[in-house]
Amino acid sequence: MKKIPLFLPFLFLTALSSAAKPPAVLPPLTGFTAADMPGDAGGAALLRWDSPGSAAAGAVIEVYVSDPAKPAWVKLADFKAEAKSESDFNRPFWAWSPAAGRNAVRLDTSAVFGRLDKPQELDFKLRMVRGAASAETEPVRTVIKGNWFNAARLNNFLLMLAITIGFFWTVSHARRKGLFIRRIAGLDAIDEAIGRATEMGRPIFYSTGIGQMSLVPTIASTSILGEVARKVAQYDTQLKVPHFDPIVMTVCKEVVKQSYLEMERPDSYRDDINFFVSNDQFSYAASVDGMIHREKPAACFFIGHFMAESLLLAEVGATTGAIQIAGTEQESQLPFFFTSCDYTLIGEELYAAGAYLSKEPMLLSTLKVQDFGKAFVMVSVVAGSILLAAGAWFGWQPLIKVVEQLFKAY
Amino acid sequence: MTLIKKQIPLLICFVVGFLTLSSYYVPHPVSEKYMEGINKWENIVFGFAFLLGLLSLFFSHYNKIRRRVPGWGYSIFVYIGFLMMVVPAFVSWGQQLDGASLTSLGWAYRFVFNALSGTMFSVLAFYIVSTAYRAFRIKSPQAAVLFIAALIMIIGKVPLGQMMWDGALGWTNVLVADIVEWLMSVPVVAGRRGIMMGLAVGAIVTALKIIFGIERQYMGKD
Repeated sequence: MKKIPLFLPFLFLTALSSAAKPPAVLPPLTGFTAADMPGDAGGAALLRWDSPGSAAAGAVIEVYVSDPAKPAWVKLADFKAEAKSESDFNRPFWAWSPAAGRNAVRLDTSAVFGRLDKPQELDFKLRMVRGAASAETEPVRTVIKGNWFNAARLNNFLLMLAITIGFFWTVSHARRKGLFIRRIAGLDAIDEAIGRATEMGRPIFYSTGIGQMSLVPTIASTSILGEVARKVAQYDTQLKVPHFDPIVMTVCKEVVKQSYLEMERPDSYRDDINFFVSNDQFSYAASVDGMIHREKPAACFFIGHFMAESLLLAEVGATTGAIQIAGTEQESQLPFFFTSCDYTLIGEELYAAGAYLSKEPMLLSTLKVQDFGKAFVMVSVVAGSILLAAGAWFGWQPLIKVVEQLFKAY
Repeated sequence: MTLIKKQIPLLICFVVGFLTLSSYYVPHPVSEKYMEGINKWENIVFGFAFLLGLLSLFFSHYNKIRRRVPGWGYSIFVYIGFLMMVVPAFVSWGQQLDGASLTSLGWAYRFVFNALSGTMFSVLAFYIVSTAYRAFRIKSPQAAVLFIAALIMIIGKVPLGQMMWDGALGWTNVLVADIVEWLMSVPVVAGRRGIMMGLAVGAIVTALKIIFGIERQYMGKD
């Protein structure tokens, strides 16, 4: 029997282990550049370098920053050498073109230098470390500054421009050609509700919700309130508008006063039609619920921004037998209004209501813009779905990426 | 007069609206500072408006008490509630905690205000039941669809319902949890997104109407 020398397996294992280990010497970091991060408020730098590849497996890259005015290197960040590929960057294709075999990182310097309101010159360098071995780049100087345009939001900007142009074109076109406006049951019922209140001699409650004046549904609600107040003034009915937000109350006071003046009923206007209740959600709900329960209004309007108090208000209104008309932009609250109210303004009907009720040609023409907007959204959804399905079917990854980025908000 | 009452407010509205819209696309520190300034001004205006609101509240309830309108007794509680929070706030210098122990303000906040808020919130549970009862009355084919969907949801979310489903329909190998998952992720999401898209379009158009001065009802008509 042939004898195998004992040292041969040892040599074999040693050779295997040395083959699995990365080389002791790290490759140099090449192609290092530093620049201002495009499309940010300032304070961030964009660092790019050639990928060190598998030779740097297990190594860590450290980023150092220094102010040339007070030179002192400060470690800003560290990460694995094989991470931070340029293709992983969360930027759309029109604002970022990743190169193969390049790494990139966005680094915020505010942790070291605070908020930079003015352009700031800074030095950057990279240091790769693995055990005792290290490799370092030469420092690179760049100016960090705030930018005037975020190119990643170009898709949104172009869409906004298209909508604005479409808005003016439609308004002028619709005024010339006339319009067909479909009936909105909830708004047609306003006359019925106010008539009922007049006959029964009971008040009308109008709530603008718990939104601030800066919210679009609150603004839409004040427009509807103006029209309701005109009819209330005409019929000489009682109107009560409890408020959650004092700024909304101040605006609504003016709106209601103006409506009474227009209907030539300034004598019927009282300053306490609009009154502040509470700036706390459930205190507001409890107070308005109490008033509705005691005064048993003939009609209740809940139009604006509502959250959990929507059901508390609408359900109490329903138990008193009032005609209830509601509308909110909170789709999570719409089911509560559907079940508790007689009429509910769904979706964009809330924003169309002011124009619908006022019957002013200029405002009515903007309803057409909403219709065109919806048509555009529908076409975009169908086209996007077809393109994504085609991309998935034929395995065209670039097409999928382009469509996804086009419809994404950055 | 038109200049002060209409044209200048419209100009302010246009300029502020345009700058605020632009700030979404302009990341520059100037834009950030502008937005910070706007927020500060909003807080300042809110502070003064809150005083107006408080005065409105007090006068409104004072008149109710003075005129002895029906339910005037409730108005007294407005003042009692106000004092119950404001007096401890002054005594405690606005602090809710003194070391580890509650101050009088902290006590009032936790055991009066929070308790009352929690009570109001819990009332929702009862209202949801009464609303569900009304919603589930099958008066039309649409109501029937709603009822069936809701029934499946209830069965799928309650352990007892799942046991009943498994006992009665387990042989079909269709899990009620799968049906619930499909209902929530397909028809519900489709409906919600439809409403949300309509709302988004409406909000954009309303914002443009206000910025360009087409919608002026919020400041009274001409």
